[in-house]
Amino acid sequence: MVRTATVTGKLKQIRIFPQRLLLPETAEKLLNEIDSVKGVIRMLISGKNLPRKVTCGPGTGMDVNHPDRIIIHVSGCAFELHVIVGEVLVEVDDESVVEELRKACERALPFSFELKRGYFIKTKPTLTDYGKYGFKSRYDETINLEDERMLGMVDPHAKLETNLCLIKAEELSLSRTAEEPIQ
Amino acid sequence: MAYKPQYYPGNTSVAKNRRKHMADDLEKMRDISDEDLTALLGHRAPGSDYPSTHPPLAEMGEPDCPVREVVEPTPGAAAGDRIRYAQFSDSMYNAPSVPYWRSYHAALNFRGVDPGTLSGRAVNEMRERDLEEFTKRVCETEMTDWGLAGMRGCTVHGHSLRLQEDGVMFDMLDRRRLEGGVIVMDKDQVGVPIDRKVNLGKPMSESEAAKRTTFYRVDNVSFRSDKEVIEHVQKVWELRTKYGFVPKA
Repeated sequence: MVRTATVTGKLKQIRIFPQRLLLPETAEKLLNEIDSVKGVIRMLISGKNLPRKVTCGPGTGMDVNHPDRIIIHVSGCAFELHVIVGEVLVEVDDESVVEELRKACERALPFSFELKRGYFIKTKPTLTDYGKYGFKSRYDETINLEDERMLGMVDPHAKLETNLCLIKAEELSLSRTAEEPIQ
Repeated sequence: MAYKPQYYPGNTSVAKNRRKHMADDLEKMRDISDEDLTALLGHRAPGSDYPSTHPPLAEMGEPDCPVREVVEPTPGAAAGDRIRYAQFSDSMYNAPSVPYWRSYHAALNFRGVDPGTLSGRAVNEMRERDLEEFTKRVCETEMTDWGLAGMRGCTVHGHSLRLQEDGVMFDMLDRRRLEGGVIVMDKDQVGVPIDRKVNLGKPMSESEAAKRTTFYRVDNVSFRSDKEVIEHVQKVWELRTKYGFVPKA
């Protein structure tokens, strides 16, 4: 199996930018709808941080207990939202998936949204990535990652385990991928 | 005829609202009790005495000074209160008050104020009991829509963000939220939980917020649509630029 993100020249990335910041229920619905579209390789959610503790001022160290910081389920995989979802970046393997993606968003979002094509997630390792993962060996200077689709999915300083969700998707009969990571 | 100052030019609804804010000609929208307000500010426990930084002026024996004789001290200054602050964040999605107008409102209508203005928030410092009077005025009137604005002493993020799905400005520390159609606040302005849930009333509808806002926006009332304002702003910029060269002639 080819394990690079840039497997074909046709690779497309889509940026879904809703008109409003999403409540967890809507975010969960949207991610599940996107996940049900065939041809989605990986998705990345981003938005404003929902901190666990107050980080400045006289209340430093107190619990925030933000009601939006809850566990959601996407394709049977549970993970805690650390952000209020503001945008979703989706990588698809074919142009034909884009229209399906639009329909999925229309089903999930009760308001308007923008859908933009482009490159939003990095597809090649940068110096920071080499600093973090290193080379494969002394003689092989490719990045020491088994699956290059991990690239760009989390902040270089963040922990991979707590920010990345791998969904086993063999049963979805995708043509080329067996795992689908979500931040 | 008594002189009536006109603070701001323009004929659009935004210009009129800006004039209203500056003249303190504001409609009262809700009631917030003194105790609740003190709890929200978080500077002292509700019901407790005002801590002071110096004895009351009357007991201090002030020096002989003509200015001190002319200027009557504010109640807070006379009592020797501490300097305290209140900071508000306003959403750019048609919040009723622009941070600059919060500062104008404070500086024009209250004494002993030190306004600090930033792009998305406005902080006002004054003596503690003066601050409470000022904050009560701001919180109860149309200057503040609690769905689109928030009292935030720290972690003010929200002004330039999209609104949440429920139409409320994002608050990272979850100080206030929409519950049962009304905004409730159960933390003080710096995110420390308080012993009560303060009901801050219903948030404005989108159309009402668009009517009461002091924000110029292309999707509501655009800045360029008000010729008088444009002329005024250009004149101010021209004069201050010329003054920058200090013309002697």
